[in-house]
Amino acid sequence: MAATQFTEYQTIRVRVNGHEYEREVPVRRLLADFIRHDLGLTATHLGCEHGVCGACTIIMDDESVRSCLLFAVQADGAELQTLEGLADGDKMHPLQQSFWDNHALQCGFCTSGFLMSAVDLLNKNPRPSEEEIRHGLSGNLCRCTGYANIVKAVQAVAEQSQS
Amino acid sequence: MEASQGGTGKMVGAQVRRVEDPRVLLGKSQYVDDLDLPNSLALAFVRSPYAHARIVSIDAAAAQNQPGVRLVLTGADIAGAIKPLRVEYEPAKAPTHKPCDWPVLAQDKVRFVGEAAAVVVAADRYAAEDAAGLIDVEYEPLEPVSDVEQALAADAPLVHEEWGDNVMQTLQAEIGDVAKAFQEADCVVSERLTTGRHMALPMETRGCVASFEPATDTLTVWSSTQVPHVLRSHIALVLDFPEHHIRVVAPDVGGGFGQKGHLFPEEAVSAYLAHRLGRAVKWIEDRRENLSASLHAKQQAVQAELAVRQDGTILGIRGRFVGDVGAYSEYPWGSAFEAGHAASSLPGPYKTPAFSFEAVSVATNKTTIGVYRGVGLPIGVLTMERLMDLAAHKLGLDPAEIRLRNMIRKEEHPYTTIIGAEVESGSHRESLQKALDILGYQECRAEQQRARAQGRYLGIGIGCYLEGTAPSSAAFASMGLNLGGYESATVRMDVAGKVTVLVGTHSHGQSHETTLAQVAADELGVPLADVKIIEGDTNAVPYGMGTWGSRSAVTGGGAISRASEKLRNKMLRIASRMTEVPDDDLELAEGMIRRRADTTPLMPIKELAHRVLVQAGSLPRDEEPGLDATAHYEPPPSTHANATHIALVEVDSDTGQVTLLRYIVVEDCGTIINPTVVDGQIQGGVAQGIGTALYEHALYDENGQFLTGTLMDYLIPTAIDVPQVEIGHIESPSPHTPHGIKGVGEGGAIAPPAAIANAVADALAPFEVRVDAIPLTPERVLGWIEQRQAAA
Repeated sequence: MAATQFTEYQTIRVRVNGHEYEREVPVRRLLADFIRHDLGLTATHLGCEHGVCGACTIIMDDESVRSCLLFAVQADGAELQTLEGLADGDKMHPLQQSFWDNHALQCGFCTSGFLMSAVDLLNKNPRPSEEEIRHGLSGNLCRCTGYANIVKAVQAVAEQSQS
Repeated sequence: MEASQGGTGKMVGAQVRRVEDPRVLLGKSQYVDDLDLPNSLALAFVRSPYAHARIVSIDAAAAQNQPGVRLVLTGADIAGAIKPLRVEYEPAKAPTHKPCDWPVLAQDKVRFVGEAAAVVVAADRYAAEDAAGLIDVEYEPLEPVSDVEQALAADAPLVHEEWGDNVMQTLQAEIGDVAKAFQEADCVVSERLTTGRHMALPMETRGCVASFEPATDTLTVWSSTQVPHVLRSHIALVLDFPEHHIRVVAPDVGGGFGQKGHLFPEEAVSAYLAHRLGRAVKWIEDRRENLSASLHAKQQAVQAELAVRQDGTILGIRGRFVGDVGAYSEYPWGSAFEAGHAASSLPGPYKTPAFSFEAVSVATNKTTIGVYRGVGLPIGVLTMERLMDLAAHKLGLDPAEIRLRNMIRKEEHPYTTIIGAEVESGSHRESLQKALDILGYQECRAEQQRARAQGRYLGIGIGCYLEGTAPSSAAFASMGLNLGGYESATVRMDVAGKVTVLVGTHSHGQSHETTLAQVAADELGVPLADVKIIEGDTNAVPYGMGTWGSRSAVTGGGAISRASEKLRNKMLRIASRMTEVPDDDLELAEGMIRRRADTTPLMPIKELAHRVLVQAGSLPRDEEPGLDATAHYEPPPSTHANATHIALVEVDSDTGQVTLLRYIVVEDCGTIINPTVVDGQIQGGVAQGIGTALYEHALYDENGQFLTGTLMDYLIPTAIDVPQVEIGHIESPSPHTPHGIKGVGEGGAIAPPAAIANAVADALAPFEVRVDAIPLTPERVLGWIEQRQAAA
């Protein structure tokens, strides 16, 4: 078998959590690996690397995306938000606070993906029903909680925003 | 109502929010792949595409010439340098057990799809995986052993030639006169059933980082593990490396459920490479590797019979459990454990005068079986609860009634079971009654009748269990396993009166930073916020056994209670000299040394701490300086949790789809430390049990080829599939443990297969289908219905 080389690089510019980054990346580098290992933003986790578990969910130009299914070069020019950009300093985002109040996490590995999916869900549908929340989060897998408290936590934030 | 987290008062039992959550929610937690050490190299393993094959040759030349590749190793290269993983039981206690070698890289043969045959060390994971793809392994395929039936045939190919057959272990026991019980019975029911191979599937896959620091002559392994000290001891053993120069750190662990309670070949290889290369190495497996090459669980074929009197009284039980353990033996516990555990759990909470069982563990060319939440219990409970329903049906008794008639009664505790376990306390009948009340049993039965008239098939299923939690060292020894069941803790007070607790358990989601702090806060009379729990660093915490087997609240909590007691006694002794109040008239509470009789505060704890640790000249001469204490806690021979689960399902007779309408659990884990956490463990455990009952199936074809290598093929429950579990609590404290704690971690996952299978059988009673296999996939359920319709 012939030796193979993957040496093509491209320079990309992205805005992540309000900070501008310009980096040269191999064209095949996954967006998730770029975020985690090049930018050091390790709150985004990889649970399957084939787009099913949702742990790597981030917001890209106002849409939730799976960062394991994108190459970093596909994010060139994009605005990204990861879990690290959700809180206002140490003041938690209402979803983070609600996850805490409702015991919506155990091992915490899937939590980042759930929070980012929930952000996207509530952006698009600020008053979801329980069923809509369950469907909206059905692309994220959790193995610890059995989901009930995650659903409750999102519901509580939706109800707060209505009052 | 939530207790104030800054305040003091009784913390055991309080509904406090989790201490560990803010750092996770703010993205500051650190899992093993978040650790990027300077100059780190990455590993990728070359894995067998064959179930059973001889390795003819391995050509790594092309890989070695790839840019960024540092080293390629095969089994031949490390033979002698890393010992194979080999589970040995005490022969006197386990005379039929046959040990086998699990080479960390395959030597001459591969025995399952996914077995590691070579490893590449390269600059990063991309380069390592590129090179791994260039390694040319020539295999000579051998006939695979793809199921148990084939494995037990006289002319079967052998997974381990030296055994002479494919049987890893056969356990047999007969207690009481079983033949007589079956002769005298008014009614005998029998069941053959099979359970699907499935797995723990933590959301974080396995992985580790290893590094060798010449300056301190220390080999450090950061691993996503449940058992840091066990890992350290066994890395030392297989690498023949001095254990006191090894440090194992378990950072945040993204779930484990048993799977991460082992030493894996990849961890041994990583540690070896870090030392050999003098460079940090990182191994993070992908999901396909986790699905195919970590550990599977719970594939068994069961045949069992139940003998009862006309009134439903149990006379005898017998069962044969045959486990498909896969290619090797999980290290260091042993894969033969599961079938025996399932078999011996058959009698459960029911008084049984005669019992016999056989448990056979059979090797096949599949991924090795390992412990997964509940281990054998979900299978034993499924079997027994199916038999109870079959007997009730045959006798015309209500399924609830036959259970109530046979359960251990409250006034009979301590009750010694047929297998010799002393059930110290419990609420078997009460939990069933309470669960029926929550359901509204009679109303549900009426609704079921109305629905049937409309062609809708509702079913109610009950699953009751008795779980021996926190196994003791003696319990393991009696089975021939060389394992401890004890736990260790050190409790330290600093000059400000704040407390650091170092404990050998390791949370991978169980909330120890909160619940174990609640125990310490009560023991030392300090606010919860003044306690910090540290786990997972073998250089910091005393030797312990880690977290598994519903053990950490009992054993970690027990060790913390005992260590705190030592420290508290010393503090009170010193305070007595200072206050001239006898020490047994003093107590620690609300951050103060108080007079016990009238709770008068005499001195802040922090003042005492400062005087002992800093103004040490004022210490009485016969008192040792220092404010820390260590205790090693051996749990009682047995602690027992119990619960009743009830599932209400609807089965679509056109599609075979099972929908969970309601799910009820009434649990009794003894004293509850934190109700929120207990509810969370139940809800999460039930979700996993729903997966076992309805969805999860790790499949192989007849060639031993693995078919479910992605999460599109291996399905676990999603937010749509898991209802809000309705949870009731009964607290029957253990008389033998500090605070009466019994343990809860595995419970939720134990009874769902039983409750759901019974509910599906109940729903489909008009079709008279035999529910004899899980998972209850739509295809399988529809097949049963169509089979009966064709026969009719």
